[in-house]
Amino acid sequence: MNSLSPEVALSRISPELRPLLCSVVRDGRVGLDSSSCLRITDLKSGCTSLMPGPCCDRFKLHIPYAGETLKWDIIFNAIDPELPPDFIFGEDADFLPEPSELAHLVSWDAGKPECLLQLVKELLQQYHLYQCQRLRDSSRLLFEYGSLLEDPNYGHSMEIYAGRKNSWTGEFSARFLLKLPVDFSNIPVYLLKDTALDPGEDVALLSVSFEDAEATQVFPKLYLSPSIEHALGGSSALHIPAFPSGGCLIDYVPQVCQLLTNKVQYVIQGYHKRREYIAAFLSHFGMGVVEYDAVGFTKLTLLLMWKDFCFLVHVDLPLYFPRDQPTLTFQSIYHFTSSGQLYSQVQKSYPYSPRWDGNEMAKRANVYISNTGLEKSQPQSHFKTSFPQFFLRFQFFSRFLNGDYLEDEQLRKLVNAKIPLANFNALTNNKKSFVTVFINLY
Amino acid sequence: MAASISGYTFSSVCYHSANSSSDHEGFLLGEVRQEETLSISDSHIGSSEFLNVIEVHNHEPCAQLFSFYDYAGNVNEENLNRILKDRRKNVIGWYRFRRNTQQQMSFREQVIHKQLTHILGIPDLVFLLFSFISTANSSTHALEYVLFRPNKNRYNQRISLSIPNLGNTSQQEYKVSSVPNTSKNYASVIKEHGTEFFDKDGVMKDIRTIFQVYSALQERVQAVCCEVDQSERVREKIQEEVNKLKEEIALRKRNSAEEERRLQEAAAVTLPDNPALPDSSHSSLTQVMLSGPSVEPSLERPVNSSSPPIYSTTLLPDSPSAILLPRPQAVGSPGHPSPSLGLGNGDGSSSDSLNRQATGQEDQEEDDDEDSSEYENLVSEQLQLPSLTETVTLGRPATLWPDGDAHSPPGS
Repeated sequence: MNSLSPEVALSRISPELRPLLCSVVRDGRVGLDSSSCLRITDLKSGCTSLMPGPCCDRFKLHIPYAGETLKWDIIFNAIDPELPPDFIFGEDADFLPEPSELAHLVSWDAGKPECLLQLVKELLQQYHLYQCQRLRDSSRLLFEYGSLLEDPNYGHSMEIYAGRKNSWTGEFSARFLLKLPVDFSNIPVYLLKDTALDPGEDVALLSVSFEDAEATQVFPKLYLSPSIEHALGGSSALHIPAFPSGGCLIDYVPQVCQLLTNKVQYVIQGYHKRREYIAAFLSHFGMGVVEYDAVGFTKLTLLLMWKDFCFLVHVDLPLYFPRDQPTLTFQSIYHFTSSGQLYSQVQKSYPYSPRWDGNEMAKRANVYISNTGLEKSQPQSHFKTSFPQFFLRFQFFSRFLNGDYLEDEQLRKLVNAKIPLANFNALTNNKKSFVTVFINLY
Repeated sequence: MAASISGYTFSSVCYHSANSSSDHEGFLLGEVRQEETLSISDSHIGSSEFLNVIEVHNHEPCAQLFSFYDYAGNVNEENLNRILKDRRKNVIGWYRFRRNTQQQMSFREQVIHKQLTHILGIPDLVFLLFSFISTANSSTHALEYVLFRPNKNRYNQRISLSIPNLGNTSQQEYKVSSVPNTSKNYASVIKEHGTEFFDKDGVMKDIRTIFQVYSALQERVQAVCCEVDQSERVREKIQEEVNKLKEEIALRKRNSAEEERRLQEAAAVTLPDNPALPDSSHSSLTQVMLSGPSVEPSLERPVNSSSPPIYSTTLLPDSPSAILLPRPQAVGSPGHPSPSLGLGNGDGSSSDSLNRQATGQEDQEEDDDEDSSEYENLVSEQLQLPSLTETVTLGRPATLWPDGDAHSPPGS
């Protein structure tokens, strides 16, 4: 039977047991991987077929644990709903917890809706201890476990699944799932709000699979909450180092943790840097600001004018700013390309250094935009009258083509031919007159 | 280990379970017996296997769940005793019925089982699990049952449960199980009418009667044996006397023959005087009597003794009647071979003493006859020996009658 939606499961369960199950399907998050809920399948009834429904009182509960999914049968009695449930632990026939360790079983109270969920959590704790005991079959893995247990950072947030020994090869495998103690709380909220569903707790889990008892085949994998993954730039941006041969978890895990922490710090710093940058631009370009991203500070658009030629400058700040250089996109407000878009040109290679502060960056960008080479005669490079060379060229070209400077028949033909803008440079080289004109201009 | 449950017990458990509105549990009562199978293979190595067979005779259903344990699975011994009462010693396992669940022991069942094993003191306590699986539209219901032996290792936990006569009885013989009848009604009827057939010890009366007859017969046989023994002993004694007398007679005969010969020789040489024959004969008789066989044969022939035959000692090799003297032994004498001189079965073969005992008896009888004939001859030859005759006559009467009693001949 496929997994049932919570509502369907609740509708089929016996009414007296409904509150217990409600807390499980709605709020049931156990273990480290809190992002995935407990699932219920295979709802059956222990009553006779003559009993009118809904009377289901036994089901299979799917519990995520250490990268595996445990399938436990939970058996109630609809006729006696106040009685505590019984459990069948699936393939783990050897798992037999001590009842005295299960407080919510000993003092079961069917009137408390969260009683079942708490009992499942207690059972899971006992299951974890049971799996840890199975590590005794491999001294190497037991050492790994012991060393991690001693570290307060990882010892209490660890799930271990010790796989069954392969009866043919005698191999023993295990998986360690560790919650990395990385603080995601300072990550700007805007980065986290893009996910459609409630992302739940932000968590980073490191799963390390040992395929053999001697730890020669070790496969680590990092799992992040979807929002965190998005905030850090997607799964492609995160590459954890391979497990060193002969290494051990107590060295490797902190390494990964540090890597992740650094990344998070970088992202946080980048946010602040961007804020600073935008603020500096705002103060430098003041009235020229069209719009800017006031939440994430990733975009800024300026409207500038040079000698009555207005143009837009879009500033795109990357995620890993200031390490990555912002992109300047110049866009004309008059001219379209052949595809109907506003003509724009992207500039990435301009003078830049990530070590500059926001003010310095704004100044330098101003210089670049104002094109100090052109304005040698005008020492004060006032940004309001500055624009890049090509726009100047373009402007003259357009006026020229429109007939303002029309002296040459060939040029008239060029205008009619609608040559793409990209060929202007080649065109100017062919015609001395143009070059002459432009030399004069430039 | 194997297990069997009678058909009616199984159906009773199923009935109770299927009619319960929820899960159901109870106890299994019965006994464990051990079967030994001796197998001989081609290698002539006999190996015996012991098989423990659990037999379920009855069951004791619990009225409700958690009737003898709490939420944590701790068994309450008091409640347990209240449910089982005096049948506690017959418990061999317990059972549980649950619908639509896996055929696997659950967490609480395992906890309870461990405690029951400890409290009841049954190391091989078994657990019978019934699962009732129904299809979604309730068109098909399957009752599955598995018998567990959880106290063994996990790879050897399931035991096959056989239900005798659940099958095609046309091809199989109808088996009678050794399950005792625990019905109360049966017990009361037997109690009421049993006195006609059973005595106070529970043994059938006919058997006792037959046994009494047998005992009586046995006693009689024993008595007869004693009588035979006694009569045989008497016969032996008489036989001894007879033999003694025979020897005396033989001796006298020899002596008298000698006398005669001498007398004849003497008469042939000179005129014979008239000796007082009676005196001489008397004296010879006296002599004979006095000079009885120097070595009196110990005619004691104890029954089954190992003393050597006595005849061999009295054998006179040069006696003309030596051929006649060695008599086979009497009844009960030890089985030693007598000297082959003159003995045998006539065909030259020698038989053992037992045969000779038997033949001896006949021979003795024959000898008796011969002796009697010889005696008659002796009597006829020596009519003037009345005393001898009288003695011999006196010695005669030992005739064994077929009824075992010794009767004296008429007229004596």
